[in-house]
Amino acid sequence: MNTTSIFIQTLIGGIGIGSLYALIALGYSMVYRSMGLVNFAHGSIYMVGTYLGIIWYTGLVLGLHVSYPVAFIIGVLLNGLLGVLLERIFRPLAKLDLMFMLLGTIGLGFVLDNLAVIIFGAEGFAVRSPLPNAPINIAGILVLPQMLLLICVSALLMVGLQVFLSTTKTGKAMRASAMDHDIASAMGIPVNRMNALTLAIGSGLAAAAGILAAPIVYVNPAMGAAVGLKGFAAAILGGLGSIPGAIAGGLVFGVVEAISAGFISSSYTKGIAFFVVVIVLMLKPSGIVGETVIEKV
Amino acid sequence: MITVENLHTYYGNIHAVKGISFEVRKGEITTLIGANGAGKSTIIKTIAGLLHPKVGTILYDGAPIQKLAADQIVRLGIGYVPEGRRVFPVLTVDENLEMGAYHRSDKSGIIEDRDRMYEIFPRLKERSKQLAGSLSGGEQQMLAIARALMSKPQLLLMDEPSLGLAPILVKQVFEIITELNKNGMTILLSEQNARSSLKIAQHGIVMETGKIRFADTAKALQENSIIQQAYLGVG
Repeated sequence: MNTTSIFIQTLIGGIGIGSLYALIALGYSMVYRSMGLVNFAHGSIYMVGTYLGIIWYTGLVLGLHVSYPVAFIIGVLLNGLLGVLLERIFRPLAKLDLMFMLLGTIGLGFVLDNLAVIIFGAEGFAVRSPLPNAPINIAGILVLPQMLLLICVSALLMVGLQVFLSTTKTGKAMRASAMDHDIASAMGIPVNRMNALTLAIGSGLAAAAGILAAPIVYVNPAMGAAVGLKGFAAAILGGLGSIPGAIAGGLVFGVVEAISAGFISSSYTKGIAFFVVVIVLMLKPSGIVGETVIEKV
Repeated sequence: MITVENLHTYYGNIHAVKGISFEVRKGEITTLIGANGAGKSTIIKTIAGLLHPKVGTILYDGAPIQKLAADQIVRLGIGYVPEGRRVFPVLTVDENLEMGAYHRSDKSGIIEDRDRMYEIFPRLKERSKQLAGSLSGGEQQMLAIARALMSKPQLLLMDEPSLGLAPILVKQVFEIITELNKNGMTILLSEQNARSSLKIAQHGIVMETGKIRFADTAKALQENSIIQQAYLGVG
């Protein structure tokens, strides 16, 4: 096997894990731009979403074994519902200082993590992939089928989100209300409902990420911490509040992580990836994409 | 059409409107004039539902509306043109108009009204696919007015529509307001430009530090020597 194909293989692995980070980063960025709130419970919401889908697939509920796609849809919808509830909790927080948001959302994260421990136990479990476990060989490049599924479904979700936000009336209203709460509500847009929808989408995407990654990672109540942090770093890297930025940030973070693990050392992966974030932010504080600033005439 | 009774509104900790009562009559232009900080904007925002009064009532066609949220007020037929235009900068002109009609569900009616807006404001038609943030100040003002009209209001609240515009555009804005009123629109117009607004209004309210100093017909106010000196620049 030559270096090029090893590199491409590593790159695909990076894009796969990067898609996961991108889906998480989208949750941070969408909620930030619509409510001005940094949701530090998002890692835990990702963990909860993973459980809410995977439990139906692995027979943890009444011994039910629904098919993987059905479990995926159930998990995404249930976590979306959780997002709607979160809007009620976050509504008063969003009006307060950063310190209160920080404490409030981190606290909520603890509550979710510990609820998961109480309900499911601290022990995690491995999830069997719905696809064959053996890597498939595409022109000399070995890829896990589940990784391909993760990349393709994530890409579909991201394209779908963009289409939704830019073409539907509700999507445009969500963008309008993120730009100017007061004026949006004076135009008749129910801003709280738009925020709830934003949290629902962010949480749904997090569940999608978790359920897609479940057969690759180890499912346990503490799984949200590292992914939550990396997703947040990815959102900042791309430019917090920017949707294309969250996607770019997630992919860059994943690829840097995979390349440093593959070609430098797997013990320094995190250090290198966060170092890259710091360097990029020093050079461009608004992140890769940053906020579109329009010159006012 | 609107009856405001003993209105007290706080803007943060500032007692910005101190016990104000007035009326906006159907089919008329009523103008609120006064210096910066006199409380004009606060009154407009309170009627639009963006601020809520501590004391007092706002009756719209006889029904109290002072407790309603902004997104409910617009459904009653009260349109709002905010101070500083505040178009949605990263939406296109088309999308801004679409948002103005958010609460409506009559698709063909919305398209008809949008085309009518493009007839009234041909500049907006040329720029329909551009982001609103890239428009000039005058164009943004036209868009803010058109966006409010898209909600099919019976009453239009206009907050300082001439602020920061070049004289020729100010003239154009006042012409548009007059035209809207001729077609039956009731308008509450807050303006620092007392001269122009009294010229087109039927009634005027002169405000000073949160209170009403004078309230009369526009004609009487124009002839009032105190107002001539303080607001109309007549020596």
